[in-house]
Amino acid sequence: MLRIQHVSKTYPNGTQALKDVSFDVADGEFMVVIGLSGSGKSTLLRCINRLIDPSEGKIYWNDTDVTSANAAELRNIRRNIGMVFQQFNLVKRSSVLTNVLSGRLGYANPWLSLLGIWPQEEKDRALKALARVGIAEKAFSRADALSGGQQQRVGIARALMQEPKIILADEPVASLDPVLSHSILQYLEVLNKEGITVICSLHFLDLVHRYATRVVALKDGMKVFEGSAKEIDRAKFKEIYGEEAQEVRAASF
Amino acid sequence: MENRLSTGKIIRNTLLAALIILALGISWNVTGVDFPRLIRDLPKGRNIVLAFLTPDLTTRETTTTTVSLAFPIPCGSAPEGEVLTSGPRLVPSVTCAEPKTKFTLEGFDLAPNSEIVIRWKLPDERIMTAIRVQSDEKGYFTANMEARPIAATANNISSRLEVDALTPVGGLKPSEAVQDVLAAMFVTIFMALLSTTLATIVAAPLSFLAASNITKRGPLGTLVYYFTRSIFNLLRSYDPLVMATVFGFWLSFGAFPGFLALSVVTVASLGKLFSEAVEGIDPGPLEALQATGANRLQMVIYGVVPQIVPDFISFIIYHWDINVRISTIIGFVGGGGIGYYLSERINGFEYSKAGTAIWAIVLVVMAMDFLSAEVRKRLS
Repeated sequence: MLRIQHVSKTYPNGTQALKDVSFDVADGEFMVVIGLSGSGKSTLLRCINRLIDPSEGKIYWNDTDVTSANAAELRNIRRNIGMVFQQFNLVKRSSVLTNVLSGRLGYANPWLSLLGIWPQEEKDRALKALARVGIAEKAFSRADALSGGQQQRVGIARALMQEPKIILADEPVASLDPVLSHSILQYLEVLNKEGITVICSLHFLDLVHRYATRVVALKDGMKVFEGSAKEIDRAKFKEIYGEEAQEVRAASF
Repeated sequence: MENRLSTGKIIRNTLLAALIILALGISWNVTGVDFPRLIRDLPKGRNIVLAFLTPDLTTRETTTTTVSLAFPIPCGSAPEGEVLTSGPRLVPSVTCAEPKTKFTLEGFDLAPNSEIVIRWKLPDERIMTAIRVQSDEKGYFTANMEARPIAATANNISSRLEVDALTPVGGLKPSEAVQDVLAAMFVTIFMALLSTTLATIVAAPLSFLAASNITKRGPLGTLVYYFTRSIFNLLRSYDPLVMATVFGFWLSFGAFPGFLALSVVTVASLGKLFSEAVEGIDPGPLEALQATGANRLQMVIYGVVPQIVPDFISFIIYHWDINVRISTIIGFVGGGGIGYYLSERINGFEYSKAGTAIWAIVLVVMAMDFLSAEVRKRLS
């Protein structure tokens, strides 16, 4: 259970990205966060693993207070929370295998890992993770030699290395051709069915309907909706995204 | 109102223009600009340029055959030499002479087509070269001589006329100058390599401290960031030449102080370039690594290093290239290597040897330039 309680975030330049946001995420949910660009989705996801420190409010994961964890505790919390990014965030010049192995840094012997030495069992784990996302044969390619869809699958394999309880996915399909969206989200769905909680920000309404078990909508940093995906019809969608918004269907591509 | 404003503008601009003209006039005067001299002094310049353009590149192996003849100055001060009638021999028009008397010297049956070196061997065994001529195909030469007062008989021993015939044998071989230039160039290239290496070892870790995205966090980090930055800037403001002179006085001149001066300047320059490369990395992978629970050092090794390696290597090679050039200049103030060789040859009026050095510098700089450009192209 992840509990987000009265979280606000004000950036040093005065931008208020989140205003008093509260909701709970039960274990095993596929929670989708929707909202316009700049509505605070990315900030919210990054507050959960404290890539960004919230200005106010508390976040609890089970009984652990994430918001007050010290550096060492925070690293332990983080290695249980995988993260997938819109821009994949791979080290482009490193091999796919090294990128995937880096997901294991929170567990690895700090000194051996600095020398680039990994035990065979970790390499096997990485190859298995790549096989799960269907690109085992790319293990020794350079990351930037892969297509966007393949790079995002490497991103998922990297998150898998953490044996995560939660996966945060920050617009994981926004940089991909719409036809690839389902392929990426299906991998997340499979992981979700295996018991990993997924918190994912998305733009396309039909993807929301297809994958979300529950939806939170943000507008100008405030939570404006929380409920099941079915409750979001066109009228609700316009309310969240504004009158000028046109719904785009990923399936129509 | 607008009119008055524009009048003010005109006055201001006119004053500004007058000031600029005044400044340029002063500059002209203090520089001693005299373009006609470029033409007037052309002959002087031409000789030097010609010498530079005909570098001392090759010599031939020669065998030397020597014949000699006692030649008393003045007559009667010592026994006259016996003039032979066959075989390699010297035949002077007189067998003795008063000081300053002119005479001719002929040689017969010497090595044909050879360089003939005629010299005085003085009573005290010192050698004084008089003239160089060329023998014909029969091994004959003739030369106009003067009985030099310095070659006067001393202690009843007369001076001797000595003639070396230098016959080329075998092919061309690199001249002494070429060998010296190669050795000096070797020193320069490796001095530049070593100083670049030392500078890299110092600058690479420091550059992370001077990178805002790595260091500028919290008050301590910000302090370290500005401190490292200002050290780089301070060191960069010193010209390598000034630095070399300082180290030269400190450690006496040679390659070592030159190397130190180069290293210091390169640390500053590489440090700044490196830190800018670190600042220019994609922060995305760092965020991803942080999210996995990696510590800061792991983030640097897995997230920063792979992104900066090509830039770092390209900067290092580029600086090696630059340092070869700078160390040439540093050599002029005593920093050793090819620059020192060049300045010594110029000071000794040995312009052909200086020409050899200049050609070598041009070739090496061009080669380094090409190589470093190629390597950098491959890396990007």
